[in-house]
Amino acid sequence: MRLSLYVPGDTWVHRLDPMTKLLMTVVGIGLTFLLPSLQGGTLLLVLLLAVLGSAGVLHRAAAVYVGVAIVAGTFLVVQGLVYPGNAVPALTLGPIVFYREGLLVGLRLALRLYNILSATLILVLVTHPSDLVEAVVRRGASPRLGYVIMAVLQVIPTMMATASTIMDAQRSRGLETEGSLWVRLKAFVPVMGPLVTGSLIATEERALALEVRGFSGEGRPTFLKEEVIPPYATAARLVTVAALAAGIAGRWLLGW
Amino acid sequence: MAAEPQGNPWALRFTTLTIVLIPVAVGINYVGKLIAAGLKLPLWLDSIGTVLAGMLAGPWVGALSGAVNNIIFGLTADPISFWYLITSIAIGLVVGYLAFTGWISSFGRVVVLGLIVAGVAAVVSTPINVILWEGQTGNVWGDALYTALVGRGWPIWLASFLDEAVVDLPDKLATVIVSYLIFKALPERLVGLFSGSRSEVESL
Amino acid sequence: MAVIEVENLRYRYPRQERLALDGITFTVEPGEFIGVIGPNLAGKSTLCQALVGLVPHFYKGAIGGQVRVAGLDVHRSTVAEVSRRAGLVFQNPFTQISGAKLTVYEEVAFGLEHAGVPREEMRRRIDEALRLLGLEAVKDQSPFALSGGQMQRLAIASVLAMEPEVLILDEPTSQLDPAGTEEVFEAVTALCRRGMAVVMAEHKVDRLAEHADRILVLHQGRQIAYGPPRQVFARENVAALGVAVPAVTQAAKALGWVLEDGTYPVTLAEAVAVGQARRGGR
Repeated sequence: MRLSLYVPGDTWVHRLDPMTKLLMTVVGIGLTFLLPSLQGGTLLLVLLLAVLGSAGVLHRAAAVYVGVAIVAGTFLVVQGLVYPGNAVPALTLGPIVFYREGLLVGLRLALRLYNILSATLILVLVTHPSDLVEAVVRRGASPRLGYVIMAVLQVIPTMMATASTIMDAQRSRGLETEGSLWVRLKAFVPVMGPLVTGSLIATEERALALEVRGFSGEGRPTFLKEEVIPPYATAARLVTVAALAAGIAGRWLLGW
Repeated sequence: MAAEPQGNPWALRFTTLTIVLIPVAVGINYVGKLIAAGLKLPLWLDSIGTVLAGMLAGPWVGALSGAVNNIIFGLTADPISFWYLITSIAIGLVVGYLAFTGWISSFGRVVVLGLIVAGVAAVVSTPINVILWEGQTGNVWGDALYTALVGRGWPIWLASFLDEAVVDLPDKLATVIVSYLIFKALPERLVGLFSGSRSEVESL
Repeated sequence: MAVIEVENLRYRYPRQERLALDGITFTVEPGEFIGVIGPNLAGKSTLCQALVGLVPHFYKGAIGGQVRVAGLDVHRSTVAEVSRRAGLVFQNPFTQISGAKLTVYEEVAFGLEHAGVPREEMRRRIDEALRLLGLEAVKDQSPFALSGGQMQRLAIASVLAMEPEVLILDEPTSQLDPAGTEEVFEAVTALCRRGMAVVMAEHKVDRLAEHADRILVLHQGRQIAYGPPRQVFARENVAALGVAVPAVTQAAKALGWVLEDGTYPVTLAEAVAVGQARRGGR
């Protein structure tokens, strides 16, 4: 079982170093808020989709997009109904009236949701987590924080698998996992308890094992793997920063 | 004697032991969410690990567990959860501080702690909801309330707070109570190891 | 020149009344294999942890006496400093995996990265450690995909790559099947022959009697005996305190098969020799 959403590949986006992709994500999120208009948001979404598309991960992104479609739909419905600036009715379904102003606000919110998602997916779908963590530690982040992130990615699938096993075992022992709300609530602790207690007790041994491998030392670490930065990374960074500058200029000079 | 954390609540407890605790805490959060969904409970129960980390190792470790939780959840499942990082940090801080100042010494106090955590979570989440989504939460029940209130002319801030609070109150109360029950079942030696990990070595 | 010197070591865990270690004194030379035995709660694990500084630095509590390992005063050094001179392998192979690395090769690199070892040196040490422990074939596998015996050898390889002068093992075979146990004992005796000092706490006294140069017996935190296996297992107080004695020795005692120096055989080979001598003498 794998936790990371990373899609292996060998496109230009995959070969980019993690820091450049981190920059693209940060700028993407920044531009989402710089360009609140429908036109600006749409343009940004097109750009982000182009990056994801050239990385060959649109199919995985689509799965995430569908997953949040309900939230996006809620924005349209709720804002269309009750946005305080509502004035012009756009759609009437029996007693329910959707207003034009609210629907536009809802559309902008949905666009914002998808822009934030798409920007983040550049990092999530196209960057291997351990490469990202190592890149950040190389640049001075705490190696302990790096350990925490890497350990989380390994520990979660293990614990989830154990949880499923315990659920099945408790079920076969006659613990009611169906039935009334109160019955199911009471079932939570016996399923959860042993797993949590066991994993907390195991932290002692794991900590001891890390200590004797020099984990608490003060010096800067070295790295087994060499970092590869492709020649076009500089160009990619410049284009990303230029996009940010264009967004700022557009917002304040041209009033997008 | 029942196990109870001791020492200065704000003392930094970033030792190898507490660092190892953080991934486990995040794992517990995930498992809580998984089991709650498996039992079809109308609660998230996805911050039990953060709360336990706060109870065991104080506010800083609790806060870091919460932060890492949302970063990882953002990277692996739902990128929007990055934004609620601040809420998770606040939960870890509040539980860690109050646990080390006697607020998990009895069941009655734990219930109060749960209510405080719910209040803090709602207060911290509200501005995020307002900034990102005009005050909506994306939760069907909360948003139904929001719609009704805004439709009656209530201010967005207040409607958004109540939208969030409706969701948080039962969830955080249950989270803190479950965490406490698990905490009470831990070996006293382990609890002492966490809270005393920064104490001095005596000489014989 | 002794590589481990322990003098009147006393230790008490936090919030405890009783001393977990009380008056431990012994020395170990390079290339020696020391077996540590004793019933449960005798203090075997505590002693192992005291040799690398986890006691007292990790557990805190109160400590007295002196521990010197490879020239370091353990009580005044950090665990990270000691970790470059003395390695410790634990019982449970699973919790020793760092949990942060994707392959066996990277797992061995974990400690070296934290110690700041340069890349070329790192690769040389990893290759050598994997070769010594016979793990080259699985170097690209996930650590979690290994068998128990392989995982325990990986733990030893990870410690070995730090190039310590001393290797300490705390019941490393207790969760392994006979084949895994054999793998670990073979690896460890091979390291001894290369000049490494080894201290191993172990329940399997028959195996220890076969491989160890000296045996240290603990009981309720006190040192009951320290010496060559035959002398130690011949002593009456060792058996009387409930310390396990090799099956061969028990049988020899029951049969009255005494060696010339008044001790009893501790390995099958010795017992066979005594038996043949007795038959020949008749």
